[in-house]
Amino acid sequence: MMKDAANTALLTVRNLRTYFHTFSGTVRAVDGVSFEIGQGEVMGLVGESGGGKSVVGFSILGLIDSPGKIEGGEILLEGRDLVTAGEDHLRHVRGREISMVFQDPMTSLNPLHTVGRQMDEVLRLHSDLRADARHKACVDMLESVGISRAAERLKAYPHQFSGGMRQRVVIAIAMLANPKLIIADEPTTALDVTIQSQILKLMRAQIADKGASMILITHDLAVVSEMADHITVLYCGNVVERGATRDLIETPAHPYTRGLIDSIPDTSERLDRLSQIPGSVPDIRNLPQGCNFRDRCPRAQALCAQKEPPLTPQHNGLMAACHFPLHPGERL
Amino acid sequence: MTQAPVLDVRDLEMHFAVGGGLLDRLKLDAKGIRLEKPIVHAVNGVSLSIAQGEIMALVGESGCGKSTVAKTIARIYEPTKGKIRIDGKDIANFGFAQMLPVRARMQMIFQDPYASLNPRQRVRDIVAEPLLEQTKIAQERAAVPEKIARLLARVGLNAEHAGRYPHQFSGGQRQRIGIARALSVTPGLIIADEPVSALDVSIQAQILNLMKDLRDEFGLAYLFISHDLSVVHHIADKVGVMYLGFMVENAPRDVLFARPRHPYTRALLSAAPSVKAKRDIEEIVLTGEVPSALDLPSGCCFRTRCPFAWKKCAQERPQLQDVGDGQSVACHLIDAPERDTR
Repeated sequence: MMKDAANTALLTVRNLRTYFHTFSGTVRAVDGVSFEIGQGEVMGLVGESGGGKSVVGFSILGLIDSPGKIEGGEILLEGRDLVTAGEDHLRHVRGREISMVFQDPMTSLNPLHTVGRQMDEVLRLHSDLRADARHKACVDMLESVGISRAAERLKAYPHQFSGGMRQRVVIAIAMLANPKLIIADEPTTALDVTIQSQILKLMRAQIADKGASMILITHDLAVVSEMADHITVLYCGNVVERGATRDLIETPAHPYTRGLIDSIPDTSERLDRLSQIPGSVPDIRNLPQGCNFRDRCPRAQALCAQKEPPLTPQHNGLMAACHFPLHPGERL
Repeated sequence: MTQAPVLDVRDLEMHFAVGGGLLDRLKLDAKGIRLEKPIVHAVNGVSLSIAQGEIMALVGESGCGKSTVAKTIARIYEPTKGKIRIDGKDIANFGFAQMLPVRARMQMIFQDPYASLNPRQRVRDIVAEPLLEQTKIAQERAAVPEKIARLLARVGLNAEHAGRYPHQFSGGQRQRIGIARALSVTPGLIIADEPVSALDVSIQAQILNLMKDLRDEFGLAYLFISHDLSVVHHIADKVGVMYLGFMVENAPRDVLFARPRHPYTRALLSAAPSVKAKRDIEEIVLTGEVPSALDLPSGCCFRTRCPFAWKKCAQERPQLQDVGDGQSVACHLIDAPERDTR
């Protein structure tokens, strides 16, 4: 896939800052996040809870409600800024240019409408097709996500589907208007592992088929490593590392990334103890000075408390925000 | 070692009658009108045994009955059938009062660290409660606060945490409180129902390490329920794989991961994502979904999704049989290896 070609990037996010102004202080959920996605690329956005990864997804779609606010930065979809665009333009973008798959397939479908009606709505809003053509498009799409007897199932309600089937319906809805970008927020977290592998295969096939791009938001590095072309790691609202998937997984430069990878037990080797990252994620309303990760980092030195590390180029084309990055193969 | 196992379960069955209105249950067929009583067959004849210091994991997907097994052994449910022996004593039919001393031997850790702690109790009271239930002698009760302080320190919390309420803690810390509570009565067996699945991966590693250390220190036995194969591989000594309320395979960990025999186990292992570059494993992709426990398929429970299933599988239910190395498998393929085409 195309890499680092700024002029061909489908989506460019620059210095995005989304804050939530609460009574107990300002939560800087996303604080200066930048990345790019080319056409046909899958980008994994990973991090632990509170890292800000979902807020990035919601910001792109303009779904941040009060007390949250996009304080600054740019979100360029094919060169057009979505931050400054009006609600009318965003409504045109949502569903047609960018669509979203949420974690919980039960709550992202309306229980009062049939699946067919919810699918039809997308086409009614985003296409000029007549009713019979829309119906045919819905049937075809439902079949392509692996639901048999599609015409009949269109008349069913969400509760009549199992969890895996519902997520297939959600994916079908997301793909219907042929969007250029799909944002999938923990799309398989609520599913069993055999169903998860079915859904991941399906999403991969659909994207390749339509030439769409995807942002895959997940806490699960294993899922992301099997799906994404490149990965962006978030910690406390900042990008701490990004790079091509294999390089980032095998030779990460940031101690947080290394720590995350090492703390995943793996069936291919047996260790007596898992290496663990000490402590827990700091209170995001009250972040430490300097590097956000320094309290949990075994490599932290005096400099880390004084100065926030900028994102700088590392080995293998990785970018990492660390004063004392790891060399390839180096352990914590 | 011929030591009696801490936990020995034989042919455990747990069926739930589900409600529904009178009209839902009325069925009209050729024989006339009759009243049906729908039954969920959650656990169908599960046997297992855990020795002191041993960790046995139960894996399977949602609805396979692994949590029900755990809760039935803990006697949160009344078992329909079968024997549950703790230190050789069958507790399957024990009443509430009889269970009290048993609870000093067997404790439980729950999945959700938010829902399993009383939000109105301070940490020290939460951790002390099981212990105070067990000791009614004033002298012994006087020693409780000190023991609680020691326990909290052991699970990685400090003294000032004892006076706080659960909402003041993160998920990982809450799970530590849950572990301290389970340890307060110095049990021999801990039943842990998905203890790390609600936690972030860096915190998950902390809790898994803690649970392993405690096993070594106190000689605990664990029944560890999880859907996550990599977690199970890390912590368990032996593994039982469940599907639709049946134990389909049961083996020491290394044997199971090196040589899974049941098609469902093989499918589970091949579906699990991994950060490491893919190992050379066969890929069995399952189609379809788990059938309803209200209406079990005839014969083998797995045949509706099994890529190898043939006529015999619909007619005869395969029994667990020993295939050596402590591995037992419930599958007709064992007797018909020529049908295993992969």
